[in-house]
Amino acid sequence: MLARNTQTKALHWLGKQLFNRNDPAAFFDPLLEKFDPMLVQAYTPARVEQVIQETADTRTFLLKPAARWQGFQAGQHVNICVDVGGVRRTRTFSLSGSPRLWAQQGLVTLTIKRLPGGLVTNWLHDNLSLGAVIGLGEAFGDFLLPEPPQPVLFIAGGSGITPVLSQLEAMAAQDFLAPVTLLYFVRTQQDVIAAERLKALANRYSALTLNVIATHENDKPRYLNSQDLAGVRDLKARQVFLCGPKGLMDLANELLHQHGVHEKDIHSTFFSAAAPALNPDLANQTLGGHVQFEKSNLKASSEGDASLLEIAEASGLTPRHGCRMGICHQCSCRKTSGTVINRLTGQASGPGDESIQLCISIPHGPVAIDA
Amino acid sequence: MKQMTENQLQELAQDLNTIRDEVVADLGEKDARYIRRVIRLHRALEVGGRVMMPFGFIPPVFAAATLSLGLSKIIENMEIGHNVMHGQYDWMNDPSLHSQTYEWDTACSSDSWRRTHNYEHHTYTNIIGKDRDYGYALLRLSDDEKWHPAHSLQFFNYLLLSVFFQWGVGLHELEFERIRSGEIRLRDKLPFLKDALRKGGRQAFKDYVFFPLITFPVAPVVLAGNLGANLIRNLWSSTVIFCGHFTQDAETFNEKDCENESKGHWYLRQLTGSSNFTGNKWVHLLSGHLSYQIEHHVFPDLPAYRYPEISEKVQAVCRKHGIGYNTGTFRHQYGTVVKRILKYSLPDRLRLRLTNQPA
Repeated sequence: MLARNTQTKALHWLGKQLFNRNDPAAFFDPLLEKFDPMLVQAYTPARVEQVIQETADTRTFLLKPAARWQGFQAGQHVNICVDVGGVRRTRTFSLSGSPRLWAQQGLVTLTIKRLPGGLVTNWLHDNLSLGAVIGLGEAFGDFLLPEPPQPVLFIAGGSGITPVLSQLEAMAAQDFLAPVTLLYFVRTQQDVIAAERLKALANRYSALTLNVIATHENDKPRYLNSQDLAGVRDLKARQVFLCGPKGLMDLANELLHQHGVHEKDIHSTFFSAAAPALNPDLANQTLGGHVQFEKSNLKASSEGDASLLEIAEASGLTPRHGCRMGICHQCSCRKTSGTVINRLTGQASGPGDESIQLCISIPHGPVAIDA
Repeated sequence: MKQMTENQLQELAQDLNTIRDEVVADLGEKDARYIRRVIRLHRALEVGGRVMMPFGFIPPVFAAATLSLGLSKIIENMEIGHNVMHGQYDWMNDPSLHSQTYEWDTACSSDSWRRTHNYEHHTYTNIIGKDRDYGYALLRLSDDEKWHPAHSLQFFNYLLLSVFFQWGVGLHELEFERIRSGEIRLRDKLPFLKDALRKGGRQAFKDYVFFPLITFPVAPVVLAGNLGANLIRNLWSSTVIFCGHFTQDAETFNEKDCENESKGHWYLRQLTGSSNFTGNKWVHLLSGHLSYQIEHHVFPDLPAYRYPEISEKVQAVCRKHGIGYNTGTFRHQYGTVVKRILKYSLPDRLRLRLTNQPA
């Protein structure tokens, strides 16, 4: 084992010398991907094996990742990367399949809803067909089932059901011995994702109480209410898992507190929603924001059109820079979240992880920089 | 330099910004596909060259292997490395094509290059005393610099620089001329030297130790081929780069005129300080599109293979503002470079008598 480790280390060192890169194995990617995209080393490739239409706007993609992928626990999510219009886009999605499906058949599933105006979700729906290959990161996240088993309440909304599907499958498979309740909010019964799987789970897993609630089938919207929670047996003894749109999460948190559920027993997870379109009239008034420099562990805030480079320097940092006019890219670094305005073009950036030039980027609301 | 009012300069900046905006708005799939194709070509040429090299005891194979490896280095340095490091493909968000992390296949470390080239040369282009790329602190190419007897041999220095170009570029940041004059101390340059040694050593190890050693019985053949490939790259890249700023009509500037300059003034300096040469598609590819040096200097971070289409628009802007656009055949432009090196190797009195023209 040790010998093998040393050998790979030595090989890695040699690769760095020969190919001038920290991931020498990826040097051959441009050639290999022409033969078989599953040979790519820069990321873990995963091939689409099947596409299932769940509802009018939601599909489940069954993927086979390359064997070196490390696996996952129910409730975790992954980053995927795809090239959309020549630009590599990274997005996070929950794994909706059971860990057993991965262990036995080497398959994972992503259940993805088209977000209105969403660049990547729409692209995935329109372009990701059988045989296509996307990049997959390793699984992460701590939205995990209690160990040992405790009573559980899931409150999910819309496509927020995806990590819960994986957890329910895992619970059914290991015969998780504690009461499990799912309150699943959908706009109409047509919007239930994985309806067949849920029905089958409820049939074969007797501990599960399934309650699907349509919010928009009557004149008055029917949201989560106090009675829903009062109907859950031993609510205070339960571990509560929340996943859904912000409105539902806020409401659920408030009601749970009213019912005396402790903060430590409430678990929420990532849920993606389309970023609101930037109002150009507002852009001028809302320049500036809180800036977090992650590596330096430093926070700063700005008002007006100070560039990130100026903000960093005012906070005592000395980022690498050059021309200070957007030419030389010496100051390019990664923004991990938040929106910035390009001083030269007035254009707003996307909200996600991307490379920006500090000297011509003005924060537009909170921004986090990997510097 | 052409004199323009601040208003005219502002209009010039607007015209050029418009060209830039049009291209940026159109960046996408096409550009990504182009650079990925070039990278694939590079990998194929490098793998091909390395695999053929041990069979180089057969003369035609030796020629093919050396040419293949030489071309691979040229393409990697010029069309991929140089352009990626300018941030031309940062928008693709591909970590292996990011300006700040890319490391290229030449003796100069990418970090050093980003400081001396991207920042110093592209910001202070052709400002005598500030742009150390102007003559590489080795050649006298304008009468802004006083003649010195050592300059009479500068053509010989030029040839040496071309042959060992990658090492010259690698040690450029050492600023040896300033150490010699006592302006800075060698000690200040130790971090740079360490970095230069690490990268230069890595390159030398690869081409002159590792590959010859693993093909031991034919090591001399492989060593010779690798030397040949590096030589081909050195001669070609130095020639292309010299054609970019040292042609007859490429202008120089002095520090005072450029203090607190506007973007328009910077644009004007890039337009008049650079020179293009014409050629076919392959000439442009192998020169990393530095054959469009003017466009490159005006828009250093736009994908280079867009320069031909940008060129039409830049020429129209130059005509509108009455600014010269310096281009010609490769032969003509290189001819004027050689003439310039020779001309300024002479003392001013002799030079003026021979050429019978000022400057």
